[in-house]
Amino acid sequence: MLRAGQPGGAPPLEMRGVRKAFGPVVALDAADFHLREREIHGLLGGNGAGKTTLMNILYGLYRPDAGEVLVGGRPAQIRSPRDALGHGIGMVHQHFLQIESFTVAHNVVLGTPSSRGLRLDLSGAEERIRTLAARFGLDVDPRALVAELPIGARQRVEILKALYRDARILILDEPTTNLTPQEVDALFGSLRAMVDEGISVVFITHKIREALNVCDRVSVMRAGRRVLSVEGREASDEVLVRALVGEDVDVRRSLLFSDERAARPTPAGRPALRVEGLSVTSPQGAPALRDCSLVVREGEVLGIAGVAGNGQRELVEALMGVRAAAGGRVWLDGTELTGAEAARVLAAGVAYIPEDRLQDGFLPKADVAQNLILGFHRRPPYGRGPWLDWPAVYDAARRLIAEYRIRTPGPHEAAVNLSGGNIQRVMLARAFSHPCRVLIAHNPTRGLDVPSTEFVYTKLLELREAGAGILLISEDLDELLLLSDRIAVVYRGQIVGTLPRPAFDRYALGRLMSGVADGG
Amino acid sequence: MAERALGPARPRRAGVDAALSYAVSVAVAFAAVGVFLAAMGFDVPRAYGTILFTSFRTANGFAQTLLKFVPLLLLTLAFVVPLAAWKFNIGGEGQLIAGAIGAGAAGIVLPGLPAIALIPLGMLAGIAGGALWAALPAWLLYRFGINEILTTVLMNFVSFGALDYVTTEVWPDPAAGHPTSVPIAVGARLPLLLASPPLHAGLVVALAVAAATHVYVNRTTGGYELRAVGANPRAALLHGIAVRRLSLLALVLGGALAGLAGALEVAGVHHRLIEGVQSNYLLLSILIGLIAKGNLIAVPPVAFAIAVLDVGARAMQRTMQIPVEVVFVVEGLILIFVLLSDVVRRR
Amino acid sequence: MLTLVPYVLASQGTMLAGRAGIFNVSQEGIMLAGASVGFLGAYLSGGNLLQGLVLATVTGALFGLALAYFTTTLKMDQFVVGLALFFIGLAISTLLYRLAVGVTLTPPLIPTLREIALPGLSHIPVVGEIVFRQNVLVYGAIVLSLILYLFLYTSGPGLALRAVGEHPMAADSLGVNVPVVRYVATVVGGMLIGLAGAYLPMVYTATFTDGIVRGRGWLSIALTFFGGWSPHLIFFGALFFAAVEVLAFRVQVTGIGVPYQVILMLPYLATMAVMMPTFRRLQIPAFLGKNYDRERRMLL
Repeated sequence: MLRAGQPGGAPPLEMRGVRKAFGPVVALDAADFHLREREIHGLLGGNGAGKTTLMNILYGLYRPDAGEVLVGGRPAQIRSPRDALGHGIGMVHQHFLQIESFTVAHNVVLGTPSSRGLRLDLSGAEERIRTLAARFGLDVDPRALVAELPIGARQRVEILKALYRDARILILDEPTTNLTPQEVDALFGSLRAMVDEGISVVFITHKIREALNVCDRVSVMRAGRRVLSVEGREASDEVLVRALVGEDVDVRRSLLFSDERAARPTPAGRPALRVEGLSVTSPQGAPALRDCSLVVREGEVLGIAGVAGNGQRELVEALMGVRAAAGGRVWLDGTELTGAEAARVLAAGVAYIPEDRLQDGFLPKADVAQNLILGFHRRPPYGRGPWLDWPAVYDAARRLIAEYRIRTPGPHEAAVNLSGGNIQRVMLARAFSHPCRVLIAHNPTRGLDVPSTEFVYTKLLELREAGAGILLISEDLDELLLLSDRIAVVYRGQIVGTLPRPAFDRYALGRLMSGVADGG
Repeated sequence: MAERALGPARPRRAGVDAALSYAVSVAVAFAAVGVFLAAMGFDVPRAYGTILFTSFRTANGFAQTLLKFVPLLLLTLAFVVPLAAWKFNIGGEGQLIAGAIGAGAAGIVLPGLPAIALIPLGMLAGIAGGALWAALPAWLLYRFGINEILTTVLMNFVSFGALDYVTTEVWPDPAAGHPTSVPIAVGARLPLLLASPPLHAGLVVALAVAAATHVYVNRTTGGYELRAVGANPRAALLHGIAVRRLSLLALVLGGALAGLAGALEVAGVHHRLIEGVQSNYLLLSILIGLIAKGNLIAVPPVAFAIAVLDVGARAMQRTMQIPVEVVFVVEGLILIFVLLSDVVRRR
Repeated sequence: MLTLVPYVLASQGTMLAGRAGIFNVSQEGIMLAGASVGFLGAYLSGGNLLQGLVLATVTGALFGLALAYFTTTLKMDQFVVGLALFFIGLAISTLLYRLAVGVTLTPPLIPTLREIALPGLSHIPVVGEIVFRQNVLVYGAIVLSLILYLFLYTSGPGLALRAVGEHPMAADSLGVNVPVVRYVATVVGGMLIGLAGAYLPMVYTATFTDGIVRGRGWLSIALTFFGGWSPHLIFFGALFFAAVEVLAFRVQVTGIGVPYQVILMLPYLATMAVMMPTFRRLQIPAFLGKNYDRERRMLL
């Protein structure tokens, strides 16, 4: 088989006229892509621009409705990941595709031809993994259980899976999301080593700075098309931003790209939410959150930074009253909420935007209106004693659909037909539909396109102006830096430092997030 | 995929679509089995005529059908109410037996009470018996997270032993050749709506309960919470709904409904405890619940249709020596086709 | 030892499909169909038990195929399809029997499986008699458990099977054909369950009755759960189930002052009691009961 990247002049990869629709939503429309040999090619775009969809098509996870793929200059039929691997294409997904109860070696050899025999010989595989790891600086123990590895090591496992299969083209989808800035630097070092050995890398990201720092070439996608490709040397903030957001967003007035927020003074309102010494134990008995204390003041955004899995989820669940705390106390406006159930927490004036909108906030088989009342269904105007006032529910739903510009035929439409961005608008409309004292927002913009993200930020800041306290838990450092008045960093279930706005510094936060420094 | 009964108002077109897919499913199922029967050398038109029209030819046939309809309706509700919370109650049989034992005990132990007190007491005892029988699996789910499909089924087998014990050791009727209890007091028997053919007042009770169940699930906040748990338990939990408590409640409620069915069978039909009181109602009720896709509006008509088929099938076996199980196969095929039509419409 | 076999076969069949992510809940129906077809196959061929066993296995395979098709290809809910198949198995088993045998007063009989004494070993006093003088399916069940254990934990396809049940998308992304794995596991699982059903008339009753399975299908699901979906633990769990069943039978025959109905309840109550402290700690495949659709963006 002709492998990508062989000498002969043909580009290792070309995609032409690719179209893909999910139901009524057109994710890609006449998209093309061109990859050169030995380059790190940044694929930049807002969420929903189609970059992941395009690469999933390349990897055989999605079937395109139209278009063709050329590998090494020849048309390639890629119907499944197996075909893609056969063409020397490997992919590292944003959410790691690993089996936690398996060892590293098991995860790596799964599906390879040598693992199809009746006897599974791992010693050779382990040796090969060690060799590859040493060559590209991807240190990991092949015998370790994946579940016990930190995020950075798990990412190295993902890359090793592709290298083990002799991938010549490596796609990385938002690889830096859960890494500290220090880990990001190490990753880039490894990528450079791969390129030096003749591998071509596609690097999907939504962060302009990253694209500029490491990529040899950058392509920008917007609304399902590639709109720009430039050499890394020739690219600039200005050019990329313009391509990224298009003409319909005024770049200078956009919150996303402004420094205006920095100029505003930190308010000093009364404490709205006060947490003292909160501890949570995981079901396995390990401490997940340790002695966590924080205060969110009125009219303040308190950001919580940290690599995913360092206690953020437990913090939110304990605050929302769905996970028993092992110790500590919680007050809202001086009313103690320690140990209160979720219903009481919500009734006391806490609004909530869940981390994972599909798992934590969404009723797929209910209609849009029924999704909009979840959590408020016992309160007027929806609930009256034991009865649900459906006319009132649907009236309110129509209002919210208009106000939050939720794209749907109406409140009776099945919620499962909503797109991701519109589901998030339902979450927002719901959270903001009743006055609240404190908003807990967990990754509120994950997976949203630029206008939707902008919309969320505007709403959050409006709420802040209105005097509510906002606890913003996010894995997106840029988001936290933009919106927060103070940022607290969690590491291994503990708050290891809190920085006020004037002291914000990306690398200082990174050191705290990786546990190498104590904060002030 | 079974849809949970949702929203009070649905677009009219969806209703027409659903009716059409039901009609097609029924027709195809009958046609397929008809081909098979014809190949076996049976007189298919006559067999199908017997199956479909026995219920409507005579008053007796119609009364028979309604007598089957009552326990089928209640037992289906016992399956469908927990299903709204996406909990599978496969223990209707055991809960029905427990309810029958409860009602039977009341009718046997307290013969002196007047009917005005004894009849409601028997009903309550039945409801309590069924609820109690479901409470154990519900508690095991609540406390230990044990899969409810498993435990509700196992409780069925436990109930068989209990019924056998009661009818052979506690209140046996030595004159009967089959494990049977002594009759319940006359004052514990349900009044008749119709003397001949006999039709007891349980029909009214069952229809009223079906209406109340519909109102509860679709018009109250509690019912909304139930369906929210069924749609996405984690989202429900994070938005202030006590998921585990509601799951427990849903199963116990299902048990109560099945227990009522048992009480009505004893007080209205058998007037004693008798082994085999559960008949094949559990299987048919699961079938009805799945064909109706959990929709509480659709349950009564589907239950009635299945009762018609069941009565007709027995007549067919008597007169034509075609096994009743032929109709089970037809029903199973209807279910498959109804489920398939969902898949087709999804595309 | 005799009573062990249906539990082992049915549970291992459940385990195989479950390890690929398909939660089969139609065991009771498949076993009934297997019992009916197995009995008829043997009866109509004049006592040829092998033919009965083969036909029962094929029946089980067909049920497995139907389950796999409806859930894997058509993406229908696994519980709903399982219950529908349970119902159909029940209907078919009695229907076939009635059509083939008719209504008779004296049930037709077939010979039961002969015991085979292992040369040498069966002469060991006491133990030899109990352990090494068994019918062929007892040995088969033991060997099967051993083979499944080795297959699952030391072979490549076994690794792929486990991966599909734990994280189908991860398996898919590495070129494992998820639908094929699910089909094969469910069909082979169905074969074992059908075989378990055929065992009942061939060893216990020599004839077919409606109540022949008596909840063993459901119990085998319970057994699979607290065997942690692992072949070796399932085997040892089956020893416990079989012991309870034998105990119940013995007590029923000899009588110890307890109503025999209580004894009849024992296996079911014991099962629930055992699950109480263990259920939460049991390992189950992470994707058990969930369908996998590569292009669906929302995995709910």
